[in-house]
Amino acid sequence: MSVEVKNVTKKFGNFTALDNVSLKVESGELVALLGPSGSGKTTLLRTIAGLEFPDNTGEAQVLFYGEDVTQIPASERKAGFAFQHYALFRHMSVFENIAFGLRVRPKTTRPPENEIRARVEKLLKLIQLEPMAKRFPSQLSGGQRQRVALARALAVEPKVLLLDEPFGALDAKVRKELRRWLRQLHDEIHVTTLFVTHDQEEALEVSDRVAILRAGKIEQIGTPEEIYDRPASPFVYDFLGNVNLFSGRVKDGAMVIGGTEFATPDATGEKDSDAVAFVRPHDIRVTRQPLGPALPALVVRSNAAGPVANLQLKRQDSGEIFTVQLSKELFQELSPKPGEQVFVELKNVKIFSDDYSI
Amino acid sequence: MLPGFKLTLGFTLFYLGLIVLIPLAAVFWKTTTLTWPQFWQTITMPTAMASYRLTFGASFLAALVNVIFGLIVAWVLVRYEFFGKKIVDALVDLPFALPTAVAGITLAALYSKTGWIGQLLEPLGIKAANTQLGIFIALTFIGLPFIVRTVQPILEDLDPELEEAASSLGANRWQVFWRVVLPMLTPALLTGFALAFARALGEYGSVIFIAGNIPMKTQITPVIIMGELDMFDYGKATAIAVVMLVVSFVLLLTINVLQWWTNRYNTNNLA
Amino acid sequence: MTPAATTFHTPHNIVHRHTTSEPPAVRRALIGVALVFLSLFLFLPLVFVFTQAFAKGIGFYFETLRDPNAWSAIKLTLLAAAIAVPLNCVFGVCAAWAIAKFDFPGKNILLTLIDLPFSVSPVIAGLIYVLVFGAQGWLGLYLNADNPHFPWLQNWLNDHNFKIIFAVPGIVLATIFVTFPFVARELIPLMQAQGRSEEEAARVLGASGWQTFWRVTLPNIKWGLIYGVILCNARAMGEFGAVSVVSGKIRGQTNTIPLHIEALYDDYNFTGAFAVASLLAFLALITLGLKTWVEHKNAALNEIEISK
Repeated sequence: MSVEVKNVTKKFGNFTALDNVSLKVESGELVALLGPSGSGKTTLLRTIAGLEFPDNTGEAQVLFYGEDVTQIPASERKAGFAFQHYALFRHMSVFENIAFGLRVRPKTTRPPENEIRARVEKLLKLIQLEPMAKRFPSQLSGGQRQRVALARALAVEPKVLLLDEPFGALDAKVRKELRRWLRQLHDEIHVTTLFVTHDQEEALEVSDRVAILRAGKIEQIGTPEEIYDRPASPFVYDFLGNVNLFSGRVKDGAMVIGGTEFATPDATGEKDSDAVAFVRPHDIRVTRQPLGPALPALVVRSNAAGPVANLQLKRQDSGEIFTVQLSKELFQELSPKPGEQVFVELKNVKIFSDDYSI
Repeated sequence: MLPGFKLTLGFTLFYLGLIVLIPLAAVFWKTTTLTWPQFWQTITMPTAMASYRLTFGASFLAALVNVIFGLIVAWVLVRYEFFGKKIVDALVDLPFALPTAVAGITLAALYSKTGWIGQLLEPLGIKAANTQLGIFIALTFIGLPFIVRTVQPILEDLDPELEEAASSLGANRWQVFWRVVLPMLTPALLTGFALAFARALGEYGSVIFIAGNIPMKTQITPVIIMGELDMFDYGKATAIAVVMLVVSFVLLLTINVLQWWTNRYNTNNLA
Repeated sequence: MTPAATTFHTPHNIVHRHTTSEPPAVRRALIGVALVFLSLFLFLPLVFVFTQAFAKGIGFYFETLRDPNAWSAIKLTLLAAAIAVPLNCVFGVCAAWAIAKFDFPGKNILLTLIDLPFSVSPVIAGLIYVLVFGAQGWLGLYLNADNPHFPWLQNWLNDHNFKIIFAVPGIVLATIFVTFPFVARELIPLMQAQGRSEEEAARVLGASGWQTFWRVTLPNIKWGLIYGVILCNARAMGEFGAVSVVSGKIRGQTNTIPLHIEALYDDYNFTGAFAVASLLAFLALITLGLKTWVEHKNAALNEIEISK
């Protein structure tokens, strides 16, 4: 049982927003659609909601729990959608906003007034805005508006909850609070949820699985750990941020950087070619003397403000600059000064041959 | 601080006083030359009373018809693409730009017994020239742009997400219009109605030719004032003018309140 | 995304029940209703004016316009507009400068007062000047007073047969009154939206008050000013009710174009009336054209502004 999208293509003029995209979300899952702007993530969400329709009718399919809803418009699809800018009805109170989806039902399926009241009040409690029921959207803060938008979408008991950049318009502090609240909420009500974001930290922290989109295609999908630890492409690596690039050559299953050979388990079988090694800053060990295979580098700048220390180093052979993260203890032990020579060991080196580019 | 405050404000007040305020004050000064019973008798004389009923009634109906058709025109201009849309959009302002005398003789001739439209209405037993219907037609003509031009910008700025949200919550197209779009347009529609109504009350040039100005039947209030002026009875003319001015001022106030109401959603945003 | 764009992107090979647009049948019906309504009320009258104007041929048309009375009406209309428009322009700029660039108590009342002439019936606009300058008005009382202040002024005015009502000055005054708010109304919201930071920057950089106005403010409000002038001029040349009260309607002397049209119409010279009316209808079309062009220009300018 799931929400499934198959072979969806969508173009706006010459721009391809979705290029034959397929995605399956299991019941009760919380999935993040992560990607830069223009990658098609919002279009995918809108296609699931029935606000956009695939161009390739016939091939493309949108399935809600096995039922084909591809041609069913938004108003009959029963997908809860929360908009980036909330799209609250300004002329209705918070209460009426939440009740809207129930009130517009045909008489035969519309719950009686007392049940509508009870349901709205329950939702108000869930979003912790009970005292605000009579307020108008213009009298609420951004975070409160977002919660009302969520409650409004939930009121119709949607088969799937779709959130477009749910925290995009909020300031950093409210963002963090609200995304933890969203995760708790999801653990309580277990509604299948997809949300769009361009913030990798948000995606990794909140979701069960993350789908990374690039130029209308899904580049990789997996749990946050999988995505972070085993990025499928340089793009994913780079998009998640926090990475150093070392250019070198792959030779006999090892990566040669500046004359030093580093063991790379996943590079076995690669033939002799130019390659780029991706290494996260916290996977680099800095020492005064080479203890094993190590690369000489010069200290450019150091910064020990914050929980970890950051060190900027320059490769002595190519002049490439890279960043190292190390604990404060190690930093104090090392006490590097600009211009001094150090040696670096690389761990968890991930190699992509040169024809990839990011 | 920028210069010129005293100079510009001084000139503004001087010019406003000279052109508008002092002459307007003359109306109230002139009224004081009448005794209260004289004043009351003048403003309640049968021809005047008939003219108020006609002027208010026809202006109200014309503004109402314009609310409906003006909304449709604005909707079509904002939401749909069709051939000649730009020209149609520009022509909506014709009643603003066309001098009232030209509109007056044109409508009178069009709706006369032998006119293009009049001869079509004749067999149906409908007479527009020299009737109250004609006055209603002229007032509808001059009021049209007010509704279209107040509703159009609001409709253009209406966030499409609101309609998408309503529709994703299960509302059908009619419910989206009736429960979401129309309430958002209501203040603008009311403002447009009030503007068209206010303009119609004072309208003269486009009405007199088609109206025929038959006492008790097709005389609008400005025509009554004109009649008194032609007889050099400035006292009577002024008394009726005072009635109209008071109504205009009340309407002006109403429009200001309505415009504040239109903007209310946008002004008290917290975020 | 504009609302129109949602319909634009709908693929044409298949009819989607799109969520933010109406079914095609409803759409077509609404367009139909709008076009029929507009044709009846706008297109038809416009076409009618020009057809009637040439009903007796082009020769008769030009004969009507060459008539001395018509010519004098044209000249008087141009004169009234030539005085009223620049005066209201200066007023509009002054009022907008004071209101938009400074804070003072009573601003809202001032704004309402500036709009006042719009809500006064044209007939009343004429009436108020008759009450001030007419034979029974303040000026008349002064001219006939037995014991006036400034007897020399009374003598001078009487000697020169000074008249305002039923003469050209009255027509000009009435025209100024009915076109009073046009320029101010365009400029005030525009200048309020622009704020005063650019002017303050110019002052800090050493510009004088005049330099600031000519080099910074004026280029910013140029299109709004032109827009206001176009509307002001159209109304000035077309005003009927107010002018009709103060003019006295002496043919060849105090008739403006609209009054001349009325005179011809009352003489049952319908073709002549429409011939003269076609001049004003043509002016209206030019006004609409210019208005659309200025709006287009302004929109383009705003877009550049946004893309910056």
